[in-house]
Amino acid sequence: MVLKIFFPRCCNSADSGLLVGRWLPGQESAVVLAVIHYPFIPGQVKRYLSELQAQSQVELSVLGSWSMPKEGQEGMESFLKDLSTIFPQDRWLQLSRGAGRRGFACQLVERGGGSAQDGGDGGGDSDGVIFVHYDQRKVMLSQLHPPEGGGGANGTAEPSELRLVFQTVARSQPLFATDQYDDGPLKVTHWQSEGREASIIVELTKQASVPLCALLTWLLSLWTRLCRISLFNMWPVRFVTSKLSTCVQLSYRTDHLRTVSSPKKASDHMEFMRKANIFVSFFVDVALGLLLISWLYRANRISRLADILVPAADHVAKELQELLQWLMGAPAGLKMNRALDQVLGRFFLYHIHLWISYIHLMSPFIERILWYVGLSACLGLTFALSVLSDIVALLTFHIYCFYVYGARLYCLKIYGLSSLWRLFRGKKWNVLRQRVDSCSYDLDQLFIGTLLFTILLFLLPTTALYYLVFTLLRLVAVLFQGVIHLSVDFINSFPLFAMGLRLCRPYRLAEGVKFRVLSEEPGKPLHLMMEINPLKYSSVLQWYRTPTYSCYPKDSWVALCKKLFVGELIYPWKRKGTKTD
Amino acid sequence: MGADSGPGAPSAVPWRKVLYERQPFPDNYVDRRFLEELRRNVRVRHYRYWGVVREAGLVAQQLSCVAAFLTLWWYMDQSQLSPSTLLMAGLLFALLGYGLYEALGASRGGGRTRLADLQSAAIFLAFTFGFSPVLKTLTESVSTDTVYAMSAMMLLAHLVSFPYAQPSPPGSLSLNAALFASVCLASRLPGALHTFAMLTCALLVFALWPCLLHRLRDRAPWGFPWAAALVSLGSVAGLASLSPGGALLLAVALLTLTLLCPLLLVRLQRHKDNIHGPWDEAEIHEDLSHFLQ
Amino acid sequence: MGQRKRAAIRDSLANQIMDGITLGHQDSPKHNICMVSDFFYPNMGGVESHIYQLSQCLIERGHKVIIVTHAYGNRKGIRYLTNALKVYYLPLQVMYNQSTATTCFHSLPLLRCVFVRERITVVHAHSSFSAMAHDSLFHAKTMGLNTVFTDHSLFGFADVSSVLTNKLLTVSLCDTSHIICVSYTSKENTVLRAALDPEIVSVIPNAVDPTDFTPDPSQRDDSKITIVVISRLVYRKGIDLLGGIIPELCLKYPQLHFLIGGEGPKRIVLEEVREKYQLHDRVRLLGALEHKDVRNVLIQGHIFLNTSLTEAFCMAIVEGASCGLQVVSTRVGGIPEVLPKELITLCEPTVSSLCEGLEMVIARQRAGTVPPPATIHSRVRTLYTWRNVAERTEKVYDRVAKETVQPLHRRLHRLQAHCGPVAGCIFAFIAVLDFLFLLLLQWLVPDSVIDLAVDASGPHALWKRSGNRKHSV
Repeated sequence: MVLKIFFPRCCNSADSGLLVGRWLPGQESAVVLAVIHYPFIPGQVKRYLSELQAQSQVELSVLGSWSMPKEGQEGMESFLKDLSTIFPQDRWLQLSRGAGRRGFACQLVERGGGSAQDGGDGGGDSDGVIFVHYDQRKVMLSQLHPPEGGGGANGTAEPSELRLVFQTVARSQPLFATDQYDDGPLKVTHWQSEGREASIIVELTKQASVPLCALLTWLLSLWTRLCRISLFNMWPVRFVTSKLSTCVQLSYRTDHLRTVSSPKKASDHMEFMRKANIFVSFFVDVALGLLLISWLYRANRISRLADILVPAADHVAKELQELLQWLMGAPAGLKMNRALDQVLGRFFLYHIHLWISYIHLMSPFIERILWYVGLSACLGLTFALSVLSDIVALLTFHIYCFYVYGARLYCLKIYGLSSLWRLFRGKKWNVLRQRVDSCSYDLDQLFIGTLLFTILLFLLPTTALYYLVFTLLRLVAVLFQGVIHLSVDFINSFPLFAMGLRLCRPYRLAEGVKFRVLSEEPGKPLHLMMEINPLKYSSVLQWYRTPTYSCYPKDSWVALCKKLFVGELIYPWKRKGTKTD
Repeated sequence: MGADSGPGAPSAVPWRKVLYERQPFPDNYVDRRFLEELRRNVRVRHYRYWGVVREAGLVAQQLSCVAAFLTLWWYMDQSQLSPSTLLMAGLLFALLGYGLYEALGASRGGGRTRLADLQSAAIFLAFTFGFSPVLKTLTESVSTDTVYAMSAMMLLAHLVSFPYAQPSPPGSLSLNAALFASVCLASRLPGALHTFAMLTCALLVFALWPCLLHRLRDRAPWGFPWAAALVSLGSVAGLASLSPGGALLLAVALLTLTLLCPLLLVRLQRHKDNIHGPWDEAEIHEDLSHFLQ
Repeated sequence: MGQRKRAAIRDSLANQIMDGITLGHQDSPKHNICMVSDFFYPNMGGVESHIYQLSQCLIERGHKVIIVTHAYGNRKGIRYLTNALKVYYLPLQVMYNQSTATTCFHSLPLLRCVFVRERITVVHAHSSFSAMAHDSLFHAKTMGLNTVFTDHSLFGFADVSSVLTNKLLTVSLCDTSHIICVSYTSKENTVLRAALDPEIVSVIPNAVDPTDFTPDPSQRDDSKITIVVISRLVYRKGIDLLGGIIPELCLKYPQLHFLIGGEGPKRIVLEEVREKYQLHDRVRLLGALEHKDVRNVLIQGHIFLNTSLTEAFCMAIVEGASCGLQVVSTRVGGIPEVLPKELITLCEPTVSSLCEGLEMVIARQRAGTVPPPATIHSRVRTLYTWRNVAERTEKVYDRVAKETVQPLHRRLHRLQAHCGPVAGCIFAFIAVLDFLFLLLLQWLVPDSVIDLAVDASGPHALWKRSGNRKHSV
């Protein structure tokens, strides 16, 4: 088994002393965290280590000794060798750096048998030891992400070891808190932060954010209580709010704010990232919304918009009327059942008539409504978009109605035809066994069934045509709403903070590591440099996407086509059933 | 014990058809008893010509029924036959048939009361009468050729799927196909009453007549050939009044069905060569369904 | 006594072939064998375990064996199993029932590559339901390799589908060098189906690993009598008969229990019977069993019941007997050949006959006149072993290796003469096309360019095992 020693780069040129670190449990590897310099009092070292251990929950121990020969310090080596008796350890590492040479020499002393594995310059077998140098700061700050595919060929042992290294370094942060200017009893070499100026601002912000968060929380609780009033919980209100995308967006943002403003400290990395992502995306959203407002309320754009909107709705209704007239004739040369065609056409025409009068009733108020509604953009661009989606939904309500009538009629027919077709073949659907059984029907059942089957079959094309036309219209509306929903969802869920982090500090989000050979000389231990592989952008998106009630199409295209074929209703606001009710 | 020695090596020990014993023969040894369990034509039925002819009469009369129905429809379409005449005739035949049916059915085992029969009749009449205006306009916009093609397909399906072995109750698919065809045809007729009459006629021909015929075959076997012959002759005569060529064709078809096809069957039976042996999948002859009822 | 007979036979054989060559196992030629079938692990069944066990024993005897099958889901490419058994999972499209689609041609490039890479000398195809096996036979003959085919199933002659499949089998086996069947009945069937010369058909039974199926009487409850049934619940296994037997016997014997392992469309029949007669505590349906669980179920029973309607060999009854159970079975197919009279009770495939047989065995069980499980096991364990199967199969390979593969013109002639005027001409044409396709492939990628694979098993194996040479003679 090869012994791996993870060695911080900053300790390369440290003075002689003790190596402090951790043997990784179950692995043949050690992580060196710091070097305690000579002179020291062993008792103090032990106390210091146990204090640190209590703080950081890492089993720190003295791994061995480190010698850096300098002039005037002869005899140090033998002294360091003897130290192993003071710090009782199963294994004792003796690293020494030759003056002016690049490599280290390493000697491992087993306590039990006292056998020494020699990896030194003297030309023993050096296969046994590999030095892995790492950048302490980067490793401390970075977050290692598990691989996507799970275990590869030998992926079970290696990542867990790496993960242990990363954990050890990250958790021993208290060790790095002392810096070189501190005048403690011990002199220690490890990574040290260079400046603290920026961190003062951070501290100030932290202090200021506490009352702000409290205020936000209070406001939110007020809002929640308002929502809980029984008036809003009655069935029609609840139904409408669950269907209006503005209301959904509102509740969604409330949730977000509640997460952000919670006074608790983020417990782990994921939660912290989540909070940060929400915070940043909220800010961007509001900024975009304000931009929109500043554009919208200038140069009388609202009233112009209103002037366009009403005639447009009118025009759509007129077009629909013409379409219906066309359908009532012999559309595209199709021969439909005339009687049924007339009935359906008149029914729909009456609806359009109703719709036009409704539009005309509404037209004087449209501008006012638009003006007030436009203000919602100050809550964010997503609100403006949601409102737009709702307006579109309201303005195409007649199409929706037609679609529902058509689909219901068609669905009924398909259902009837399918069960009568089974009767036609002398079969029936067995509900208990969920299968088609054969069955012997009576003469009268067969006769009536066939009669109905024939009638339904010949009427099917007429209904199907109406259904087809209105479904196409509906699909256009759904498509438009879907695009809006997608963009809202994109703004809601895009992990801006994580992306920024990946862009500016790639090492913070690690996917794995790669090793670069520093020096490889025969007869000397191998020196590797461990570098951090940043996470891929796609993986960043996957990891840190804020979960939403996503409005991506949940069912596949095939399922959608099947639904369309059997006449089931399709909605753009169909979400996962978890949060709508 | 090997594939490489010459097969059929003489040996004192007789070969046995067992696997559990190591025998002193090569694996590819072929004994004299090889294939001795081979049987030929184990379950071959021997047909008698007139018996087959008798059974074939059922097929012929079903074909004649279809022909007769089409003839009637043609007369209706040409308005040479008034619906009321057809209705009266239908009523007459129905009553006669019902009487005959009752007379033949000595024991009422099935449990259908006269009230149930009356109820069924009422349902037939009410639904047909109620729907006939709808049916009248049903195929208005569909082209006549389509309707004819569809009816022809359906009548063919009726003839193919008719359960000749067990004609009562009529099989669902065959009856439904026939009814579908008659609805299609009836919807092309000039008036709603025509449609109604035609559908009633279809019901008599395709649904009730097979029931009666089956009972006739059961109870009065001597009467069955006469009935079949009567129907065949009637249909040929009816078609002859419409088109002599068609009648001739129908007559030839009927004769082929009843006389020539059975002859072929009996003759070809001689060439049958069926192999049976222990490898055949065993058949379950018992009726195991009683364990589940 | 059997041993002595065997020895005598071997001597006589030795005399026949001894002409100057030193006799000895070491000198028998070693073959490069390619087993081809659509059915292999992870699919589980009789054919699959046959291929695996046979390959293992042949490797043990020093041959090089590889297995070719189609990709199962994510399992594709090359895998190695125990003892460096190399398996090619080829990316061929599965059509129906784990059998690949065949166009007669599209598999040629892949199979040729495998055959050339591995320096195959004998192609051994398994199962007549496997399209890939037939394809490989066809291509191997085109490439001039020796071919062996093992038929694992029986087929009737009655319906249209069997007429068609029998025709295809005729074509496929028309110039195959040697055919192996698992029982004499199966041999008769195959000879008739494919119109073969019976002398190129050998009978080599299947085998059972006796160490996997050892009895353990402590596991069974002697206060009641348990009947075990382990089979797929399909029509061919006679599950309808079982549905008749259960109520008949359960009403008669209150201490009788049924333990049924397996899954299939006929499960509903058993469930209905169980519901109707309120036998939920006495009839247990275990569902699909894994192979390793079969023994644990078998040893819980006293009687093993097999109700198959057709069966070429029936490993299940051997497994049952090996676990020390009394076996009751229908007398169909090759079943009467499998076990000696004293170990099996044969009945006709009817409910009444099976009930009669079972009652007889139950009476014996109650009277305590049945032999103890250990005795039965020791009797069965020597009957069918994989080593014996491998030894006998090896002889088939030796014989086949001496034959020359027919050249194309002879093959065409034989196809036309043997398979009827229409099918013969069609398949002769296809054979010509296949040959031309092979020439095209050889022109595109000559054999010399294809790099040879390192042997994983066989005489030149890379990972040679230490005890390779010490197998028994």
